Amino acid sequence: MTKVTITTLPAAPLHVFEIWGNAASVAKRFKAAMGFALPATGRSGGSDALRLIRFEPTVWLVEGDASALSAILADDGAVTAIGGGIVRIRLSGPGWWTLLMEGGVFDAEDPAFSVGCSAATIIDHVNVRLHVISDDACDAYVPLSFSQGLLHFWKEAALSL
Amino acid sequence: MINFSFDGKAYTAQTGDTLAAALLRNGIGLVGRSFKYHRPRGIMTAGVEEPNALVTVGEGGRAEPNTRATDVFVYEGLVARSQNRWPNLNFDLGALFSLASPMLPAGFYYKTFFGSAKRWMLYEYFIRKAAGLGNAPTQADPDRFSHRAAFCDVLVVGAGPAGLQAALDAAEAGKRVIMVEQDNILGASLIRDPQELDAAWIETTAARIRAAGGRILTRTTASGYWENDLVTLTQRLSEPGQTPTHGVAQRLWHVRAGQVILASGSIERPMAFAHNDRPGVMLSQALRSYVRRFGVIPGKRLVIATNNDDAYKTAQALKDAGAQIVAILDARPAPAGANSGHRVYNDAVPLSTKGARHCLKSLSALVDGKTMEWDADLLAVSGGFTPVVHLHMQAGGTLDWNEDAQAFVPASSRQNVTTIGGAAEPQPIFKMVPVSKPKKSFIDFQNDVTLADVDLAWAEGYRSVEHLKRYTTLGMATDQGKLSNMAALGRLAEKQGVAIPEAGLTTFRPPYTPVTMGLIAGAGAKDAGAHVRRLALYDLHAAKNPIWQPLGYWFRPRSYPNGGETLAQAALREAKAVRNNVGMTDVSTLAKFEVSGPDAAAFLEIICATTVSKLAVGRGRYTFMLREDGIVFDDGTVWRLDENRYLLTSSTGGADRMATHISYVRQYLCPHLRVSAVNVQEHYAGLAVAGPQAKAVLAALIGEDPPRHMSTVPAVISGVPVIILAASYSGERAFEIYITASDAATVWAACETQVNALNGALYGLEAMEFLRIEKGHLVVGGEVDGRMTPHDLALDKMLNKAGGYIGASGLSRPALSEPGRRQLVGLEAIAGDIPEGSMLIPSEGASPQGHVSAAAFRIIEGGSVALGQLVDGFSRHGEILIASSPTRGQKARVRVAAAHFYDSAGERYRD
Repeated sequence: MTKVTITTLPAAPLHVFEIWGNAASVAKRFKAAMGFALPATGRSGGSDALRLIRFEPTVWLVEGDASALSAILADDGAVTAIGGGIVRIRLSGPGWWTLLMEGGVFDAEDPAFSVGCSAATIIDHVNVRLHVISDDACDAYVPLSFSQGLLHFWKEAALSL
Repeated sequence: MINFSFDGKAYTAQTGDTLAAALLRNGIGLVGRSFKYHRPRGIMTAGVEEPNALVTVGEGGRAEPNTRATDVFVYEGLVARSQNRWPNLNFDLGALFSLASPMLPAGFYYKTFFGSAKRWMLYEYFIRKAAGLGNAPTQADPDRFSHRAAFCDVLVVGAGPAGLQAALDAAEAGKRVIMVEQDNILGASLIRDPQELDAAWIETTAARIRAAGGRILTRTTASGYWENDLVTLTQRLSEPGQTPTHGVAQRLWHVRAGQVILASGSIERPMAFAHNDRPGVMLSQALRSYVRRFGVIPGKRLVIATNNDDAYKTAQALKDAGAQIVAILDARPAPAGANSGHRVYNDAVPLSTKGARHCLKSLSALVDGKTMEWDADLLAVSGGFTPVVHLHMQAGGTLDWNEDAQAFVPASSRQNVTTIGGAAEPQPIFKMVPVSKPKKSFIDFQNDVTLADVDLAWAEGYRSVEHLKRYTTLGMATDQGKLSNMAALGRLAEKQGVAIPEAGLTTFRPPYTPVTMGLIAGAGAKDAGAHVRRLALYDLHAAKNPIWQPLGYWFRPRSYPNGGETLAQAALREAKAVRNNVGMTDVSTLAKFEVSGPDAAAFLEIICATTVSKLAVGRGRYTFMLREDGIVFDDGTVWRLDENRYLLTSSTGGADRMATHISYVRQYLCPHLRVSAVNVQEHYAGLAVAGPQAKAVLAALIGEDPPRHMSTVPAVISGVPVIILAASYSGERAFEIYITASDAATVWAACETQVNALNGALYGLEAMEFLRIEKGHLVVGGEVDGRMTPHDLALDKMLNKAGGYIGASGLSRPALSEPGRRQLVGLEAIAGDIPEGSMLIPSEGASPQGHVSAAAFRIIEGGSVALGQLVDGFSRHGEILIASSPTRGQKARVRVAAAHFYDSAGERYRD
């Protein structure tokens, strides 16, 4: 049987970091202040203290301490808290790729979907954001209201991969 | 050895046996009764095309009716039952239908069931009793079904020699490969003809495919081919009726392929002659499969009827197995078959058979113009080969006619699909025409359609093959005409005097083989197809044992009954608490959007039809949103939290639609604006405190005077930061408190303590409905029903006079403000309760002039009030109408009134 472990992570601050203008300038300011570049679409950057994951052309999900970001954006964007509505679920073990194909529409088994990659997709009708954190694990960001249902779905599916 | 039962009798099978093979191994030739005439039927094929041997497998909710005995592998304890017979398979009273067959030709029901509607009720009873084959189980299916996505460069359908080679080539070229095979082992035609490539080659090839990263799925049927090379696969993880190892019985794969290679082979055709449906008549290749794959010899004295060379392999296989080859009837002229070593009759076609219970007794044939007869217990027929083109056609392909094979073969396709192997190049055959009497010459075995039925349809003017199909029901059974369609086309072409390609084709539709409803539903089969959305405070509510109310995907407390209270009693108590004292409720499901940036107000004035930019920081207002055509589609409140930061709330039911709308406006209509609009519906949990004592509750919670009506302040409750909005949906002084959802339980507990201290109560959706109806507040999906303009809802005075909002242009159309439109009204019952959803009519028998959208009890005074829509309703206050609900048998006399029954001056909002 393909193994996968499903773990709900503790609640954590999550923010939306959105740029509406002067993107190049913001990117320069960001790199100067944070020491790493804003990640490209479908990629993540940073560390456990502050990680940005890009899911849309002008929008990043921020995990960690976002207190410095508003100043970097100035009038070129906004930071909005969303963490209360998202549950982080970690899928670990060699079966996580296969598990994500259950009820899915996204090619999580593509070898290119590797560490540092991200995707926004639908799994069993639920909108989910994915972030590959290691060869052995992927974090899923799941809407709070659907989290119990999706956890149940994944735990059942994991029995028969 | 494996134990199984058929019709209650115990048998044994060998490992790897299909049920059909096991039954034949045990000498059972009679397996079922035909659909219409209840004729005895046996096993004709060895594959999914089987039309006759349909059985029910499994018990209880796991029972699967109409399972092909050729497509289920025997497992320990398998329980199979024959179908469509009473009292038993051997003695079936339904066989009397066969005696009445002259009165039951194709389309007899079109000519029979006439008369008054009452007679139809009688007909229906008997039709329902007679119709159908197996019975659907009445118990719930205990198993689960899975949906899984997969992506590949090359999908190969069929693991015969061509499919295996194609999959190997692609995999070793570095492509991501999936190969599917509906059988439980690989090889397909190689299983019955192993001399061409042996089992070792199959094993080695499969190992190389897997080593190159390819995925091989057995017991998996490519059941549908959809747009953009999406192919659905049906995978059996357990056999029909079998308890699955891990709970999942079947898996539906959604495969998006770069290229699809169809190596789906061909299906052997039967021949049309009298009594060609008896047990003991089998397809030639199927017979060869039973002998070589399963080691089963279904008869001792074999006659073969053919129009091609392939059947001679069957003769050899049976001879090698020890059977006697009585004769080979070859439709081709001499010297076909001359060197086979068997007794061959050329220019020979079968005429009829005579049968015993489980096998044949004898058969006759026309040989070179003369009738001859043989004693034989088994007849193998081979009328040619029909390429399996179903998926190619589902992919939007076209067909060419192969004259040598007398078959359609795949031609072009607008999708990236290629057909290889036997399906692309069927064996040549000799064209033959049935010479037997048509009345008992079956062509669609499952639906009991004969050549005579086709002739009748033709005689009655059915020229199109599509009409012929529907009139005779040919090709409409669970086998979808896999054996019958070419025979019917041949007969139709013969009648028309044209070649078969000119006779036309019916449509190939998914699924290729039957698919269970549970598989289509997938994991959702157990909970109506969707996850339940749970409130952040779900556990807290659940502990109070409320009556739950589904609201979209959400489940929300409808009321919190005390003791033995009914819903109505509990809701009325809760509503009275709000009117007299204080109540609190969970409003977390409301849509919420945080809109930030220098252009936030400008953006909101495009979304909302009211002004926004004039709001002072800390103030809010009611607002509503229009579609492009000027119709109201949602409403809510907008709050200025900071200089460039707003909170927009809207309805629960319209939340997803509003999120889409805002995203559309932001990205397509206003990409130039400096604004961020973020959906924070789930980030903030919300609770509402309402009633004369609400202000006191809030003051105790935040330690200061709460904001005045339609004002907002940030605050802290029990150490948790919150946003307080002074807004009311109940008609009382009220507050909404929004908290980061993960901290909501703390704030809820603090608030509940204060509410309880003032003898308040929790209230649910039912009480909320009473309160809002009495106050005249709208609900999206009720009064806002996709047809009403701001004028119809008396909201026009709030419209932004500067325009510029979505829907402003559409709203200017004269028809939207002309007399005769339905308008929002209140309704007071003169006597009785107003039925919700009832029609508003001026007198008995008159046409409806409107309807009741929501009805409730008056909370303090008693009596029934409602909101409704009425033609020219604003000018009809005081008029007496009838609210009539014929479907419920309820009616009430009502007086038209203004759409608010409580505190119309709004004095209760003020401190």
